[in-house]
Amino acid sequence: MNQADIMILGCALVTFIPRLIPAIFVGKINFGKKTEKFLNLLPYTALTALIVPGVLTVDNQLWYIGLIGAVVAAGLAWKKVPLGAIVILTVIVLISVYSIIPLI
Amino acid sequence: MGIGYAALAIKAGLTPLQTVLFSIFVYAGAGEIIAVSMLLNNATALAIILTNFVVNLRYLVMNICVYNKVTKSSLLKNILTAHIVTDESFALFSLMEESSIWTYSGISFTSWLSWIFGAVIGVTVLDLLPVIVTNSFNISLYALFVAILIPSIKKSRQITLLVAITGIINIILQLLIGNWSIITSTIIGALIGVYLVDDKYVSNVEEEETA
Repeated sequence: MNQADIMILGCALVTFIPRLIPAIFVGKINFGKKTEKFLNLLPYTALTALIVPGVLTVDNQLWYIGLIGAVVAAGLAWKKVPLGAIVILTVIVLISVYSIIPLI
Repeated sequence: MGIGYAALAIKAGLTPLQTVLFSIFVYAGAGEIIAVSMLLNNATALAIILTNFVVNLRYLVMNICVYNKVTKSSLLKNILTAHIVTDESFALFSLMEESSIWTYSGISFTSWLSWIFGAVIGVTVLDLLPVIVTNSFNISLYALFVAILIPSIKKSRQITLLVAITGIINIILQLLIGNWSIITSTIIGALIGVYLVDDKYVSNVEEEETA
Protein backbone atom coordinates (compact mmCIF):
# COMPACT_ATOMS: atom_id res chain seq x y z
CA MET A 1 0.00 0.00 0.00
CA ASN A 2 1.41 3.37 -0.94
CA GLN A 3 0.73 6.83 0.43
CA ALA A 4 -2.15 7.38 -2.03
CA ASP A 5 -3.96 4.17 -0.99
CA ILE A 6 -3.73 5.16 2.66
CA MET A 7 -5.06 8.59 1.75
CA ILE A 8 -8.02 7.11 -0.14
CA LEU A 9 -8.96 4.71 2.67
CA GLY A 10 -8.48 7.34 5.36
CA CYS A 11 -10.50 9.99 3.57
CA ALA A 12 -13.27 7.51 2.78
CA LEU A 13 -13.49 6.58 6.46
CA VAL A 14 -13.45 10.09 7.93
CA THR A 15 -16.00 11.26 5.37
CA PHE A 16 -18.37 8.32 5.83
CA ILE A 17 -18.53 8.40 9.63
CA PRO A 18 -20.07 11.90 9.90
CA ARG A 19 -22.51 10.91 7.16
CA LEU A 20 -23.47 7.68 8.94
CA ILE A 21 -23.98 8.93 12.49
CA PRO A 22 -27.16 10.97 11.76
CA ALA A 23 -28.59 8.10 9.70
CA ILE A 24 -28.46 5.84 12.75
CA PHE A 25 -29.28 8.30 15.52
CA VAL A 26 -31.95 10.21 13.65
CA GLY A 27 -33.75 12.75 15.82
CA LYS A 28 -31.41 12.20 18.74
CA ILE A 29 -28.69 14.69 17.87
CA ASN A 30 -29.08 18.35 18.59
CA PHE A 31 -26.32 20.89 18.39
CA GLY A 32 -26.22 24.21 20.12
CA LYS A 33 -26.71 27.15 17.80
CA LYS A 34 -23.02 28.06 18.04
CA THR A 35 -21.74 24.60 17.13
CA GLU A 36 -24.11 24.44 14.18
CA LYS A 37 -22.90 27.82 13.00
CA PHE A 38 -19.28 26.73 13.40
CA LEU A 39 -19.89 23.62 11.28
CA ASN A 40 -21.66 25.64 8.60
CA LEU A 41 -18.82 28.15 8.41
CA LEU A 42 -16.16 25.47 7.88
CA PRO A 43 -16.67 25.17 4.10
CA TYR A 44 -16.18 28.94 3.65
CA THR A 45 -13.01 29.13 5.68
CA ALA A 46 -11.67 25.89 4.18
CA LEU A 47 -12.17 27.22 0.65
CA THR A 48 -10.45 30.46 1.61
CA ALA A 49 -7.49 28.65 3.14
CA LEU A 50 -7.16 26.64 -0.06
CA ILE A 51 -7.32 29.62 -2.40
CA VAL A 52 -5.02 31.94 -0.45
CA PRO A 53 -2.13 31.68 -1.11
CA GLY A 54 -2.30 28.39 -3.10
CA VAL A 55 -3.71 30.04 -6.21
CA LEU A 56 -0.40 31.85 -6.74
CA THR A 57 1.37 28.50 -7.22
CA VAL A 58 -0.82 27.22 -10.06
CA ASP A 59 2.22 27.82 -12.24
CA ASN A 60 5.44 27.45 -10.26
CA GLN A 61 7.33 29.92 -12.44
CA LEU A 62 4.65 32.55 -13.15
CA TRP A 63 2.76 33.54 -9.99
CA TYR A 64 0.41 35.89 -11.87
CA ILE A 65 -1.07 33.05 -13.92
CA GLY A 66 -3.09 31.91 -10.90
CA LEU A 67 -4.03 35.46 -10.02
CA ILE A 68 -5.39 36.08 -13.52
CA GLY A 69 -7.43 32.87 -13.27
CA ALA A 70 -8.83 33.80 -9.84
CA VAL A 71 -9.81 37.28 -11.00
CA VAL A 72 -11.50 35.92 -14.14
CA ALA A 73 -13.40 33.31 -12.11
CA ALA A 74 -14.44 35.90 -9.51
CA GLY A 75 -15.67 38.27 -12.22
CA LEU A 76 -17.71 35.57 -13.90
CA ALA A 77 -19.17 34.39 -10.59
CA TRP A 78 -20.09 37.99 -9.77
CA LYS A 79 -22.07 38.08 -13.03
CA LYS A 80 -23.82 34.87 -11.94
CA VAL A 81 -22.40 32.72 -14.72
CA PRO A 82 -23.11 29.02 -13.94
CA LEU A 83 -20.35 27.08 -12.13
CA GLY A 84 -19.45 24.73 -14.96
CA ALA A 85 -19.17 27.60 -17.44
CA ILE A 86 -16.94 29.55 -15.05
CA VAL A 87 -14.50 26.67 -14.81
CA ILE A 88 -14.40 26.10 -18.57
CA LEU A 89 -14.08 29.81 -19.42
CA THR A 90 -11.30 30.32 -16.89
CA VAL A 91 -9.36 27.40 -18.33
CA ILE A 92 -9.83 28.82 -21.83
CA VAL A 93 -8.60 32.27 -20.72
CA LEU A 94 -5.48 30.71 -19.22
CA ILE A 95 -4.77 28.70 -22.35
CA SER A 96 -4.98 31.98 -24.29
CA VAL A 97 -2.67 33.72 -21.80
CA TYR A 98 -0.15 30.89 -22.16
CA SER A 99 -0.20 31.24 -25.92
CA ILE A 100 0.38 35.03 -25.70
CA ILE A 101 3.27 34.87 -23.20
CA PRO A 102 5.97 33.86 -25.73
CA LEU A 103 5.09 36.97 -27.75
CA ILE A 104 5.73 39.42 -24.88
CA MET B 1 -16.10 19.27 -12.49
CA GLY B 2 -15.39 15.58 -12.17
CA ILE B 3 -13.12 15.93 -15.17
CA GLY B 4 -11.17 18.78 -13.56
CA TYR B 5 -10.73 16.69 -10.43
CA ALA B 6 -9.44 13.75 -12.48
CA ALA B 7 -6.95 15.99 -14.28
CA LEU B 8 -5.56 17.14 -10.97
CA ALA B 9 -5.52 13.67 -9.43
CA ILE B 10 -3.49 12.22 -12.28
CA LYS B 11 -1.08 15.12 -12.05
CA ALA B 12 -0.71 14.46 -8.31
CA GLY B 13 0.42 10.94 -9.15
CA LEU B 14 -2.72 8.87 -8.58
CA THR B 15 -3.30 5.99 -10.99
CA PRO B 16 -6.52 6.14 -13.07
CA LEU B 17 -7.94 3.36 -10.88
CA GLN B 18 -7.13 5.22 -7.67
CA THR B 19 -8.63 8.39 -9.13
CA VAL B 20 -11.96 6.70 -9.84
CA LEU B 21 -12.01 4.71 -6.58
CA PHE B 22 -11.48 7.93 -4.67
CA SER B 23 -14.59 9.38 -6.32
CA ILE B 24 -16.61 6.27 -5.53
CA PHE B 25 -15.62 5.89 -1.89
CA VAL B 26 -15.17 9.46 -0.73
CA TYR B 27 -17.66 11.25 -2.97
CA ALA B 28 -17.06 14.77 -1.73
CA GLY B 29 -16.15 17.15 -4.55
CA ALA B 30 -14.37 19.80 -2.51
CA GLY B 31 -12.81 17.23 -0.18
CA GLU B 32 -11.38 15.19 -3.05
CA ILE B 33 -10.01 18.20 -4.88
CA ILE B 34 -8.47 19.48 -1.66
CA ALA B 35 -6.92 16.07 -1.06
CA VAL B 36 -5.27 15.79 -4.47
CA SER B 37 -4.06 19.39 -4.44
CA MET B 38 -2.48 18.77 -1.04
CA LEU B 39 -0.95 15.59 -2.41
CA LEU B 40 0.46 17.64 -5.26
CA ASN B 41 2.16 19.83 -2.63
CA ASN B 42 3.66 16.75 -0.93
CA ALA B 43 1.44 16.86 2.14
CA THR B 44 1.45 13.73 4.33
CA ALA B 45 -1.48 11.31 4.19
CA LEU B 46 -2.30 12.17 7.80
CA ALA B 47 -2.56 15.91 7.11
CA ILE B 48 -4.78 15.19 4.09
CA ILE B 49 -7.06 12.84 6.01
CA LEU B 50 -7.49 15.27 8.91
CA THR B 51 -8.22 18.16 6.55
CA ASN B 52 -10.80 16.01 4.77
CA PHE B 53 -12.40 15.16 8.09
CA VAL B 54 -12.79 18.82 8.96
CA VAL B 55 -13.97 19.92 5.53
CA ASN B 56 -16.50 17.08 5.30
CA LEU B 57 -17.86 17.47 8.84
CA ARG B 58 -20.61 19.56 7.27
CA TYR B 59 -22.21 16.34 6.04
CA LEU B 60 -22.99 15.59 9.68
CA VAL B 61 -25.19 18.68 9.76
CA MET B 62 -26.68 17.97 6.33
CA ASN B 63 -27.56 14.38 7.17
CA ILE B 64 -29.13 15.42 10.45
CA CYS B 65 -31.47 17.64 8.42
CA VAL B 66 -32.06 15.01 5.75
CA TYR B 67 -32.95 12.21 8.14
CA ASN B 68 -35.13 14.48 10.21
CA LYS B 69 -37.11 15.35 7.10
CA VAL B 70 -37.16 12.04 5.28
CA THR B 71 -40.27 9.87 5.46
CA LYS B 72 -41.06 6.23 4.57
CA SER B 73 -37.59 5.22 5.66
CA SER B 74 -36.05 2.63 7.94
CA LEU B 75 -32.73 2.23 9.72
CA LEU B 76 -31.43 0.06 6.90
CA LYS B 77 -32.50 2.52 4.18
CA ASN B 78 -30.94 5.36 6.17
CA ILE B 79 -27.64 3.52 6.44
CA LEU B 80 -27.63 2.59 2.76
CA THR B 81 -28.25 6.17 1.65
CA ALA B 82 -25.94 7.86 4.18
CA HIS B 83 -22.92 7.79 1.88
CA ILE B 84 -24.47 9.58 -1.07
CA VAL B 85 -25.43 12.89 0.51
CA THR B 86 -23.68 15.84 -1.04
CA ASP B 87 -24.10 19.60 -1.11
CA GLU B 88 -26.17 19.67 -4.30
CA SER B 89 -28.53 16.81 -3.42
CA PHE B 90 -28.93 18.23 0.07
CA ALA B 91 -29.78 21.69 -1.25
CA LEU B 92 -32.30 20.26 -3.72
CA PHE B 93 -33.92 17.98 -1.18
CA SER B 94 -34.25 20.59 1.55
CA LEU B 95 -36.08 22.93 -0.85
CA MET B 96 -38.48 20.25 -2.07
CA GLU B 97 -41.93 19.56 -0.65
CA GLU B 98 -41.63 15.86 -1.36
CA SER B 99 -39.90 14.06 1.50
CA SER B 100 -39.91 10.34 0.67
CA ILE B 101 -36.66 8.42 1.09
CA TRP B 102 -37.04 7.22 -2.51
CA THR B 103 -37.05 10.75 -3.87
CA TYR B 104 -34.02 11.59 -1.79
CA SER B 105 -32.03 8.52 -2.77
CA GLY B 106 -32.99 9.06 -6.41
CA ILE B 107 -31.54 12.56 -6.47
CA SER B 108 -28.46 11.53 -4.53
CA PHE B 109 -27.75 8.39 -6.49
CA THR B 110 -27.95 10.24 -9.81
CA SER B 111 -25.45 12.87 -8.74
CA TRP B 112 -23.17 10.19 -7.29
CA LEU B 113 -23.10 8.32 -10.62
CA SER B 114 -22.48 11.47 -12.64
CA TRP B 115 -19.58 12.44 -10.37
CA ILE B 116 -17.98 9.00 -10.86
CA PHE B 117 -18.68 9.18 -14.59
CA GLY B 118 -16.92 12.56 -14.73
CA ALA B 119 -13.81 11.05 -13.14
CA VAL B 120 -13.84 8.16 -15.62
CA ILE B 121 -14.08 10.56 -18.57
CA GLY B 122 -11.35 12.69 -17.02
CA VAL B 123 -8.82 9.87 -16.73
CA THR B 124 -9.68 8.61 -20.22
CA VAL B 125 -9.38 11.83 -22.22
CA LEU B 126 -6.50 13.29 -20.26
CA ASP B 127 -3.80 11.34 -22.07
CA LEU B 128 -4.88 12.98 -25.29
CA LEU B 129 -4.46 16.57 -24.14
CA PRO B 130 -1.32 18.72 -24.70
CA VAL B 131 0.75 19.98 -21.73
CA ILE B 132 -0.44 23.59 -21.83
CA VAL B 133 -4.03 22.42 -21.61
CA THR B 134 -3.37 20.17 -18.61
CA ASN B 135 -1.42 23.03 -16.99
CA SER B 136 -4.39 25.29 -17.48
CA PHE B 137 -6.60 22.66 -15.86
CA ASN B 138 -4.76 23.40 -12.62
CA ILE B 139 -6.73 26.60 -12.38
CA SER B 140 -10.05 24.76 -12.66
CA LEU B 141 -10.15 23.84 -9.01
CA TYR B 142 -9.36 27.37 -7.86
CA ALA B 143 -11.89 28.75 -10.34
CA LEU B 144 -14.41 26.44 -8.75
CA PHE B 145 -13.52 27.48 -5.19
CA VAL B 146 -13.69 31.16 -6.10
CA ALA B 147 -16.99 30.66 -7.88
CA ILE B 148 -18.51 28.93 -4.85
CA LEU B 149 -17.31 31.66 -2.48
CA ILE B 150 -18.31 34.74 -4.48
CA PRO B 151 -22.11 34.52 -3.99
CA SER B 152 -21.64 34.53 -0.19
CA ILE B 153 -19.13 37.36 -0.39
CA LYS B 154 -21.65 39.31 -2.44
CA LYS B 155 -24.36 38.62 0.11
CA SER B 156 -22.55 39.70 3.23
CA ARG B 157 -19.73 42.10 4.14
CA GLN B 158 -19.13 40.06 7.27
CA ILE B 159 -18.36 36.95 5.24
CA THR B 160 -16.07 39.03 3.02
CA LEU B 161 -14.24 40.16 6.13
CA LEU B 162 -14.06 36.59 7.45
CA VAL B 163 -12.62 35.40 4.12
CA ALA B 164 -9.99 38.15 4.24
CA ILE B 165 -9.04 37.33 7.84
CA THR B 166 -8.83 33.59 7.14
CA GLY B 167 -6.66 34.24 4.09
CA ILE B 168 -4.21 36.35 6.09
CA ILE B 169 -4.07 33.79 8.91
CA ASN B 170 -3.35 31.07 6.36
CA ILE B 171 -0.53 33.01 4.69
CA ILE B 172 1.14 33.55 8.06
CA LEU B 173 0.60 29.97 9.25
CA GLN B 174 1.87 28.51 5.99
CA LEU B 175 5.26 30.09 6.69
CA LEU B 176 5.25 28.59 10.18
CA ILE B 177 3.70 25.12 9.85
CA GLY B 178 3.54 24.39 6.10
CA ASN B 179 0.72 22.11 4.95
CA TRP B 180 -0.94 21.92 8.37
CA SER B 181 -1.87 25.56 7.92
CA ILE B 182 -4.94 24.73 5.81
CA ILE B 183 -6.70 22.72 8.51
CA THR B 184 -5.55 25.06 11.30
CA SER B 185 -6.67 28.29 9.66
CA THR B 186 -9.95 26.64 8.57
CA ILE B 187 -10.79 25.93 12.21
CA ILE B 188 -9.53 29.27 13.55
CA GLY B 189 -11.42 31.11 10.79
CA ALA B 190 -14.70 29.31 11.52
CA LEU B 191 -14.30 30.01 15.26
CA ILE B 192 -13.83 33.70 14.53
CA GLY B 193 -16.80 33.52 12.17
CA VAL B 194 -19.10 32.24 14.91
CA TYR B 195 -18.71 35.61 16.62
CA LEU B 196 -18.13 37.79 13.56
CA VAL B 197 -20.85 36.74 11.16
CA ASP B 198 -24.51 37.43 11.75
CA ASP B 199 -26.64 34.28 12.20
CA LYS B 200 -28.84 35.06 9.23
CA TYR B 201 -25.97 34.73 6.75
CA VAL B 202 -24.94 31.24 7.79
CA SER B 203 -26.94 28.05 8.26
CA ASN B 204 -28.67 26.25 5.44
CA VAL B 205 -30.27 24.55 8.43
CA GLU B 206 -32.50 27.49 9.18
CA GLU B 207 -33.99 27.39 5.70
CA GLU B 208 -34.67 23.75 6.34
CA GLU B 209 -36.42 24.46 9.62
CA THR B 210 -38.71 27.08 8.17
CA ALA B 211 -39.46 24.99 5.08
